[in-house]
Amino acid sequence: MSKPSQLATQVQEELKFHIECYAEDLMNKGVPRSEALRRAKAELGSIPASSEQCRTAWGTRFIDNLRADLRFAARMLSKSPSFTAIAIGSLALGIGANTAIFSMAKAVLLDQLNVPQPGQLRLLAWRVKGHSIVHSSWGEFHSTPDGSGSTSFTYPVFEQMRRQNHDLGDLFAFKNLGRLNVSVDGEAEVLQGDLVSGNFYQQMQVQPQQGRAISPSDDTAGATPVAVISDAYWQHRFNRSQSALGKTILVNLVPVTIVGVNPPLFTGAKGALSSPQLFLPFSVQPAVYPYQTADSLLSSGKVWWMQIMARVSPGTDEQKARAALDVAFKSAIRATAIIKPNESIPNIEVNDGSRGLNQAQGQMAKPLWSLMALSGLVLLLACANMANLLLSRSEARQREIGVRLALGAGRWRIVRQVMTESLLLAVLGGLAGLALGAFGKKAIVAMLSGPSEPLIISNGFDWGVFAFCAALSIITGLLFGAAPAWQLTRTQANTTLKDRAQTVTRRQRGLAGKFIVVFQVALSTLLVISAGFFLRTLINLNRINPGFDPHNLVLFDVRPPLKLYTGEKQIQLFRQLTDSIAAQPGVESVALTSVPPLANSYDTNDFTPEGAKLDSDSQGVNESTVGERYFETLRIPIVAGRAFALTDTETSPKVAIVNQALAKKYFPNQNPIGKTFSTTDNKQNKLVFHIVGLCADAHYASLREDPPPVFYLNYRQAPEVDWGMTYAVRTTSARAAITPALRRAIQSIDRNLPLVDVRTQQEQIDQLLSNERIFADLTVSFGVLALVLASIGIYGILAYSVSRRTNEIGIRMALGARAEQVMRMVLGEASWMTLIGIVAGLGAALASGRIIASQLYGLKAHDPATLAGAAAVLVLVALAASWLPARRAATIDPIKALRHE
Amino acid sequence: MAQKQDQGMELLQGTLDMLVLKAVSLGPLHGYGVLLRIQQISGNRLEVPQGSLYPALYRLEHEGWIAGDWGQSENNRRARFYRLTTAGRRRLDAETRKWHEMADVIGAILSTAAEEI
Repeated sequence: MSKPSQLATQVQEELKFHIECYAEDLMNKGVPRSEALRRAKAELGSIPASSEQCRTAWGTRFIDNLRADLRFAARMLSKSPSFTAIAIGSLALGIGANTAIFSMAKAVLLDQLNVPQPGQLRLLAWRVKGHSIVHSSWGEFHSTPDGSGSTSFTYPVFEQMRRQNHDLGDLFAFKNLGRLNVSVDGEAEVLQGDLVSGNFYQQMQVQPQQGRAISPSDDTAGATPVAVISDAYWQHRFNRSQSALGKTILVNLVPVTIVGVNPPLFTGAKGALSSPQLFLPFSVQPAVYPYQTADSLLSSGKVWWMQIMARVSPGTDEQKARAALDVAFKSAIRATAIIKPNESIPNIEVNDGSRGLNQAQGQMAKPLWSLMALSGLVLLLACANMANLLLSRSEARQREIGVRLALGAGRWRIVRQVMTESLLLAVLGGLAGLALGAFGKKAIVAMLSGPSEPLIISNGFDWGVFAFCAALSIITGLLFGAAPAWQLTRTQANTTLKDRAQTVTRRQRGLAGKFIVVFQVALSTLLVISAGFFLRTLINLNRINPGFDPHNLVLFDVRPPLKLYTGEKQIQLFRQLTDSIAAQPGVESVALTSVPPLANSYDTNDFTPEGAKLDSDSQGVNESTVGERYFETLRIPIVAGRAFALTDTETSPKVAIVNQALAKKYFPNQNPIGKTFSTTDNKQNKLVFHIVGLCADAHYASLREDPPPVFYLNYRQAPEVDWGMTYAVRTTSARAAITPALRRAIQSIDRNLPLVDVRTQQEQIDQLLSNERIFADLTVSFGVLALVLASIGIYGILAYSVSRRTNEIGIRMALGARAEQVMRMVLGEASWMTLIGIVAGLGAALASGRIIASQLYGLKAHDPATLAGAAAVLVLVALAASWLPARRAATIDPIKALRHE
Repeated sequence: MAQKQDQGMELLQGTLDMLVLKAVSLGPLHGYGVLLRIQQISGNRLEVPQGSLYPALYRLEHEGWIAGDWGQSENNRRARFYRLTTAGRRRLDAETRKWHEMADVIGAILSTAAEEI
């Protein structure tokens, strides 16, 4: 019944039946058949009119009108394909940019873990005021002046709380171990691994796609070590072969049997963005991942390191559950840890766990919000552009509208027609934008993924993103359709019909269009200035002299399995590796360091200068444990004294080299050489070092900060070397050419040692600056997009104004105006709009400068060169965009122009 | 026009809906049947404009006061039969009451003699 066509046939059938019945009655009274039919039809009135009335009565008139409007709109759009293409194109760019950024933001900020009912997951945390009983933690930990908090727990506390918890479902646990050495069929590589409790899969309600999950019986002491692997790793290493199941691999040299493969989108509990490749039961920790200060973390009441989750069932009284858990937590602490008099016991917190630990959020939230703001500006610009184009068109259509008004069309009817057209455009633009957004998202994901840890962002159809895109399209449609529709309602039927003759002198008509152009130029100025800021920040960061020579340096990491290499054996391994690498052809010089330069990696240790008392004056200072030829290899100049030498051994006097920043801070106006300082090892033993050399400052972890004070120790004398080393190789060959030689050198010492993360120093710097680069790339693309949209806007409004003023210009030229005068007139109009827009944009940029100031490097938020540069770019683009219409105006033939009317 | 006046009175504005509701309240009818019944009850004194009948039927159906179903007519043809719904019954009662009140008031006004004022 709802379909108009169905209704129409029904009405017709009824009317026909009526006519026939009536005609029959008349015939029964003796009227001849033909006459009877004629009269029957005449009395009923015309069938189309009748059925039209019936449809109005039924209420389908609205749908009919909508269809007619849509058909008309489609016809109008297909009549001017270039307009339609520009319109849909600019909308697609605006909507696409927003959709891409929004999908990213959604994945990073909103997406939940890919498990059934993630909303039921709770993540336990604790918070304490004052001194905490927690002294040793591994993983996330945050402290504020009045207390501290964390999501990390000790294993005994977890076990005891789990036994005593009866309210919050079954507690389960996980821990991201970071990088693990894994070797499969003799091929070694580094993977990410998670430890999970035996009930983890059961509570997460996830079934592996192949094989079986980790079960409670796997998580008991003495059980055969098993692992479940991620779908991506199954694909990457085993090519989705069934033979992966039951295979034994070496994880940090411990044989582990693969028993299952996770479903494709399951990422574990850390976060929804990327997945560890290996999931192992907690029971393997002592064997697979020996921790530096404890035999087994599973029995250590000291180290706080693992995360606890629970799944609440509907109807759980969470307040009551939290209170009961708090009691269990406190009694567990009392049972497993020693509490000093001035220390307070933390309180348990039950937080939302639907997004796991969600560590990505913190790092990416700020840039994402800025990018969303910028892409919003681009969309606003696209809307302004559309409003401008539609306004010009609607002015051109005033005569048509006037005719329709004069023929009795309702004003509301015409507004609706115009809005239908805008919405149709918006929807088409939105569809194109959705496609563009999917493409853009892929590009951004590729930009954000590090080489070692690819991001998992579902490429499937996302209703949230679709809804966002649809809402955006409709809002933009209403936004840019409003101006022309509003203008049309003011059209007077009689004046437009007479209007043509008066256009010669009427000029205030285009005011709304001009305002929009000014607005566009202002927005573009703002975007181009932002692009300029971030581009120059990136250039400035790249120009910084790092204090060493980053060219022709190849870096790679060595992480010897802790089980095989401890203490002296490790140092011996590093020495052998150094010698073996140095002997390879193409290697000029080789050095090792505990802290890879410019990798956002820190190592701090106590530093107490000679004479000062330990504890009272000791301070955390950046430390680097390096090999003998470090300064020579990196080309960091030794300013005074000497570098490390082969004669500095485990048994010789302990020596250190400090940089100028450290000397300036701790030994002002003194010669640091010959002085001593003390530092401590992990067991808090005091170690004294003699300063034998002073080196020039080099950037340490980042480029943005000034080189910090650093002391360098020789790895053979350093307190602890337990997290692996980075080798820096000065080479004459390219990275690809030298890599096989490096691999040979390492495997000649130990064939199970993988070569981890081979990169050039320049690549390391690029990675360090990758956020800045992504930011600069995206803002520059937004800036270019803004310029394109603004030039379309300027071109559109001028081209329209010239064509409308053909008559006037013709008269001017007939009266003796020269071509260049006409051109100057048109360009002058453009210049005014541009100048006002640029001034407004500069004002907005200055006003919003404080927001971005913290993200800039080497320039201020009111940097005159950037502001002037952006203004100059806008002037050039505006002039280029107005050149064509101006030339067309100048070449108007007066005779033709006057005949034109 | 002259012919029409011979046949019957023209319908008062706005009364068609009420008459249709009344007609179908006496039993299900097709469109032509509604026309015949109104004319029959009025003793052929009332002329229903045929062109307005069907829009009225659809309007009433759209309001939910009558419901239409396809069925078999007395001469074995497919026709749409209308019957009164519960909402239609209420509507008819309300309209009837209103009509009687109106008729009373207008009747009173028209029968007023000069001396009564």
